[in-house]
Amino acid sequence: MNKILDFWRRFRQNRAAVGGAAVLLIVLLVAAFGPWLYPTDPFDMVGRPISAPFGKFPLGTDISGRDILAGLIHGARVSLLIGIVASLCATVIGVTLGALAGYYGGLIDDLLMRSTEFFLTIPSFVLAVVIVAIFSPTVVTVTTAIAVVSWPSVARLARAEFIAQRDREYVQACRAMGMADWQIVLLQILPNALPPVIVVGSLMVATAILTESGLSFLGLGDPNVVSWGYMIGVARTVLRLAWWMAAIPGVTILITVLAINLVGEGLNDALNPRLKQR
Amino acid sequence: MSPATLSFIVRRLAQVIPVVFAIATMNFVLVHLAPGDAADILAGMAGHATPEFVAQLRREFGLDLPLYQQFFIYMGKLLRFDLGFSYIQQTPVLNLILDRLPATVILMVSAIILAMTLGIVAGVTAAMRYGSWVDAVISVGALIVYATPVFWLGLMLIVLFAIKLGILPSGGMIEIGSGKSGLAYVLDVVWHLILPASSLALFYVAVYARLMRSSMLEIYTFDFIMTARAKGLPERTVAWSHAARNALLPVVTLAGVQLGHLLGGSILVETVFGWPGLGRLVFDALLQRDLNLLLGILFISSVVVVFANLLVDLLYGFLDPRIVHK
Amino acid sequence: MKSCSSKLLHICTLLLAASLATAQAAEPKKGGTLTYTFHPEPSALSTLATTAVPVALVSSMIFDSLLEYQGAELTPKPGLAESWTISEDQKTYTFKLRPGVKWHDGQPLTSADVKFSVEKAVKPFHSRGKVYFGTLEAVETPDTQTVVFKLKKPVPYFMRSFQPNETPIVPKHVLEKANLSDKKTLRQSDFMQKPIGTGPFRLKEWKKGSHVILERNPDYWKPGRPYLDQIVLRVIPDGVGRAIALENGEVDLAPMNAIPLAEIGRLAKLPKIVKSTEGTEGLGPIMWLEVNLRQKPLADARVRQAMSMALDRNKIVDVVWFGQGKPATGPIVSSNPVYYNKALKPFEYNPDKANKLLDEAGYPRGANGVRFKLTQNFLPYGDSWVRLSEYIKQELGKVGIEVETQSLDLGGWLKRIYTSWDYDFTSNFTHNYSDPSIGVQRAFISSNIRKGASFTNSMDYRNPRIDQLFEAASVEMDPQKRKVLFDEAQQILHDEQPVIFLMEIAYTHLWNQRVHGLIQNGISMYSGWDAVWVD
Repeated sequence: MNKILDFWRRFRQNRAAVGGAAVLLIVLLVAAFGPWLYPTDPFDMVGRPISAPFGKFPLGTDISGRDILAGLIHGARVSLLIGIVASLCATVIGVTLGALAGYYGGLIDDLLMRSTEFFLTIPSFVLAVVIVAIFSPTVVTVTTAIAVVSWPSVARLARAEFIAQRDREYVQACRAMGMADWQIVLLQILPNALPPVIVVGSLMVATAILTESGLSFLGLGDPNVVSWGYMIGVARTVLRLAWWMAAIPGVTILITVLAINLVGEGLNDALNPRLKQR
Repeated sequence: MSPATLSFIVRRLAQVIPVVFAIATMNFVLVHLAPGDAADILAGMAGHATPEFVAQLRREFGLDLPLYQQFFIYMGKLLRFDLGFSYIQQTPVLNLILDRLPATVILMVSAIILAMTLGIVAGVTAAMRYGSWVDAVISVGALIVYATPVFWLGLMLIVLFAIKLGILPSGGMIEIGSGKSGLAYVLDVVWHLILPASSLALFYVAVYARLMRSSMLEIYTFDFIMTARAKGLPERTVAWSHAARNALLPVVTLAGVQLGHLLGGSILVETVFGWPGLGRLVFDALLQRDLNLLLGILFISSVVVVFANLLVDLLYGFLDPRIVHK
Repeated sequence: MKSCSSKLLHICTLLLAASLATAQAAEPKKGGTLTYTFHPEPSALSTLATTAVPVALVSSMIFDSLLEYQGAELTPKPGLAESWTISEDQKTYTFKLRPGVKWHDGQPLTSADVKFSVEKAVKPFHSRGKVYFGTLEAVETPDTQTVVFKLKKPVPYFMRSFQPNETPIVPKHVLEKANLSDKKTLRQSDFMQKPIGTGPFRLKEWKKGSHVILERNPDYWKPGRPYLDQIVLRVIPDGVGRAIALENGEVDLAPMNAIPLAEIGRLAKLPKIVKSTEGTEGLGPIMWLEVNLRQKPLADARVRQAMSMALDRNKIVDVVWFGQGKPATGPIVSSNPVYYNKALKPFEYNPDKANKLLDEAGYPRGANGVRFKLTQNFLPYGDSWVRLSEYIKQELGKVGIEVETQSLDLGGWLKRIYTSWDYDFTSNFTHNYSDPSIGVQRAFISSNIRKGASFTNSMDYRNPRIDQLFEAASVEMDPQKRKVLFDEAQQILHDEQPVIFLMEIAYTHLWNQRVHGLIQNGISMYSGWDAVWVD
């Protein structure tokens, strides 16, 4: 409990991060409860196509006469879900591989780090595009593709942390006590290595949301759900008629991603005080 | 060139080979995971495809062979720079890609130059005025740009500069049919380049500015800066000739590492601006679901990035003589 | 009264003067360049490779056929053939070739070229070659200027075969040298990239990914034609980009919905832009939901009728297609001047009745309001088809049919619909072409349930009466009797809806007012444009 309070005290000092957290909380609440509070189906043709905001519909209608506000609210769910799940998957993969590489070193390290570097080098967005195109776009394939292209940075970080920790005294003590490798890795080193990973993982959510929006914009979104990037893609054909149709979801992405980044930096300050001003 | 440098180059080149091999393998795996093969597509487009015709096509493409044999055939083709055939565009994939690669390179290089220049200036300025309103504006601006989807930024720039103000072209690389040549042609391209290059660069301006700023602040704590200041050098000289030069290295490193990322961004930007490069080719391939072409683009762009990285590494070695090639 | 009539007279004079002025302005001018835009880029320059729209648009400038056609109803008139006779039993067609016609390479056109084109190129390789020449017994060439087609059975639409994109006449002396063993070598042959025809324009330059330039054929057989010096195709992949290019005059023409539907309305309002939906009557595009009758609920006609009633065709036309079309009433488009069955009633939009029908059919709503689930595919041809799939999913959901949309690439789509037959329903569109026996029959007769053949009867629709009717109509020479046969077939298909007919797509062409003479007949976009001129 003390730890949490301590964390909060440090986090609170970064006012931007607190603001970001507040915005993020609102977005999360909208994603969680919005569809109940504003039940208009985002795929329903409810009005005249391309009607301007602040008329019958608070944010106007899109190219097929669908409520843009409904799209934003339902899209929040999809964009955040894909962003968070993809980042979680990427973090788990990254930490696992990074831990193995860092803890054992040697050949495993070589092999794993080579593949990490490989994935870091190749154009990740192109790879994501190809993966989604091949397996046809669904929420699952989009999430997987984003996870597949995002884990390497976590892996590299986790490896560095594990290398830094593996020869510390407490680890040697555990070994001397005859603890199994997996126990040392999971119970001893991981908790110590986690703070920077959490920071990178949270920042990854922002990147994942941006990647998802890019994929949807190219028409590689799940056709059954609305996401913010999809809304921009739809609006694009009528950019000359109705610029606001593209502007609204774009600003939404911007604000959300900005909030996540601010929170990530706040976390960084609060969790890794020694890394401040990196 | 010293023997050490030479052996470094050779070793770095040798490292490239397994990477290219890995890319090829990944491509092969992806080809075979795709539902529907070349024979299906071709047969479908022919309109009157009997199962016999499809089987005949399969034989022609060797799709009925065991997988490992197909793998060797595939690798053999790659060694001969044969990336397969685009059945939609009726042209070898490699030709299509090589046609478009220069435009992408132009866009990427302009964006890097723009991003580096602006990012470094912004970063150094922010560091020099640490804590002032200038610093705050630059930092906040960078944060916002950092959170902006690049394709959306492009669209908004089109709205503002092409549609509302009407001062810049909304897309394309040249004014087709104008028959411009020589300098006029180059200027025309530059004119068309302004919006796409800015859209692509802005994100990296933010990245470089932030990195440059923190790297400068770190260097400001070093003794040699104190010495320089103690010597009574003007702050501007201290910042630019002493600190910035040293703070530059992490920025250059990052720029090298992020080449792949930049390429991804340029794909989106090219789509928005109809820039006739790889990105537009990706968009076309997606519209027509031309998988052979997509995979070819993935392969070539990966290889290009790998070699560009190599180049950056070598350059880096020359930039910073302190680096020992071990 | 007097003043009134004098005013009238005055108006009349003014009108007369005005019409004279237009008549004067309508005097065709020689020279100039017409630039048009279309996407995607053609994959070849001859329809022998594929009859896809981008290919057909260009290749009709380069190639001629034996005939030309007049008006929306496509009345045959002399083309490469100066005159013709048809035997009493309608099984022998004798064409006299126009003397002095030269290929783009200067060689003379002879009857041997025609024989070669039909026997060695069109019949084996054109996607409708067998439809036109399936009953061909022999092609005889008694002299260099005479071609005789002998048919085993009369073909009522035989005189429709000789359109530049359907039966292009290709040079024997060029193609003979190429090895045309199969379609693949043909597609990859040089001829597809550097075609030689007798048409009004010949290829000057093709820069892939950018443009195709055609130049005036100085030896063209019509005296004084073509008017234009050049036709340029500009490839602009981005739809908004195409719209902007037309708006600022960079291109003169955007044929066949080359502009995003959403932008058509805005552009058509500009004073310098002319909008037309004429000139494609001979194509007759029609859109429907192709339904897999092998799937249990869909085999029930009531379910299909319910699905049909759940969809508001007017909304599809107005909102999804931005008004570019009209609701369909059956398999033959209403613009078909002869064979459209005018007795067909519009399909009803009535979700309540749809619900009732589904209840009756034995598919009550479950606890969650869902009766059954279907997977929907859509034609991967761009945004409008995605919008359509979204609308359909939504509306069917309202009557308790839960639809999951699956996005497939063209290869995957063709495979799923026409090879593995593993689908529930998909949007699709086909062309009627110039005769129901060519473009309509293929989708509904049971002999066309053929695995792997695209745009056939993928639904597994088997109705002996339909088979009979189309069979009879394909050999019936009396237009009146044919109409009776087609009328009945249309009524049956309207009632049973083996596919759910949605709309007749209008091909909208937009052009700059400086362009004239574009619309000449029912296949204006697939004709030579030798009569087109620009200010």
